[in-house]
Amino acid sequence: MPRLDTFQISVKTGARGVDALPRWIINGFSVDFEDVRGSTRSGDTFEATGSPGSFPHTLLLRGPDEGAWDIEETRITYYPNGEEPYTVRLGAVTLDTESDLNIWYERPQAVFDL
Amino acid sequence: MPSWFSKVFKSEPAKPEPVQVPVREVRSAGLDLSGDRPVPEPHAPRKVVHAPILKDAAEQSGWSPEIRIKARVEKGNRACTFLLDRPVLEGHSAWFPHVGAAAESPLAQVLFAIPSVDTVLIHGYTLTVARNPTVFGDWDQLAKEIGSAIRGHLIEDRPVVTQAFVAAIPPEETIRQTIQRVIDTEINPGIAAHSGAIRLDRVEGNTVYIEMMGGCQGCAASDVTLRQGVHEAFRSALPGLGAILDVTDHAAGTNPFYNQLPAGMR
Repeated sequence: MPRLDTFQISVKTGARGVDALPRWIINGFSVDFEDVRGSTRSGDTFEATGSPGSFPHTLLLRGPDEGAWDIEETRITYYPNGEEPYTVRLGAVTLDTESDLNIWYERPQAVFDL
Repeated sequence: MPSWFSKVFKSEPAKPEPVQVPVREVRSAGLDLSGDRPVPEPHAPRKVVHAPILKDAAEQSGWSPEIRIKARVEKGNRACTFLLDRPVLEGHSAWFPHVGAAAESPLAQVLFAIPSVDTVLIHGYTLTVARNPTVFGDWDQLAKEIGSAIRGHLIEDRPVVTQAFVAAIPPEETIRQTIQRVIDTEINPGIAAHSGAIRLDRVEGNTVYIEMMGGCQGCAASDVTLRQGVHEAFRSALPGLGAILDVTDHAAGTNPFYNQLPAGMR
């Protein structure tokens, strides 16, 4: 796995949103997002960029510090160093004050029909 | 240094005082955490949740009308997993490390007849075929050949394994005791130096589910440990063993295969 230069994340919030901007966590360290657009309020879409510039051991989206956050869909586009970017889409999940969302997925292996 | 590193460690360590300051005080100043240097994650540890991976519609289409088979080349390009729309082998799994071990599996014999097929693992809805390590390149042609052989075999309703194969499978309790002994006496003492440990999660039929803990969890080398250490030790102790599956949540979302099955196959 090459170094992960940056990733772009888009999170569509469902019924229950949160006011505070989310943070991302790489290998246990909490980091602010860059290029933030939109919001995490109910029905809104939050878009931002993270710049690991490193090899993620774990990459997480921090759950809210209060309340619950209903996520309808998350789309993450990864930009590995020297390789083509790839995108992973995740389905509905609810985060709370005791949970983080795993957002680290290696490039999906190609699936083809026979 | 990664770019996020400077964002986390915002302040520069204090500069040591020149000459007069004793060495111990200089080190102490350099490591002072009382300023605005952040401390990793002040929150209590949280559980990591995984959202389902969504598939594009294109990935769900194109099934054969007879028997639907999809192929997925595994990391490293040596093996390819074939996902079927029906169970290939129910209640047990079957591992064939070479053609000589496939005498009791008509399906494995058909696959070994294809040049460059090296090993065959049959489990549930899947067959995982590894090719000879000296063969490189893409899998397209070989996968089509294997898929065609699997489909032809199953359409003709020929047996996957013989009754003798099933009869020779050790009882679950025997498997459980043997695997636990190997873990306790061979594997865990060996990987303890890396602060790692293996735990037997469960045995179903002749399929073994294990969990990797401590230093093994999330380790980039865990796959090598699993395949070259654990698999070999287990199979040497118990030749009738089927699939060995890792149920570890490596917090990296790579836990296996079953998270990534196409919709309708889960």
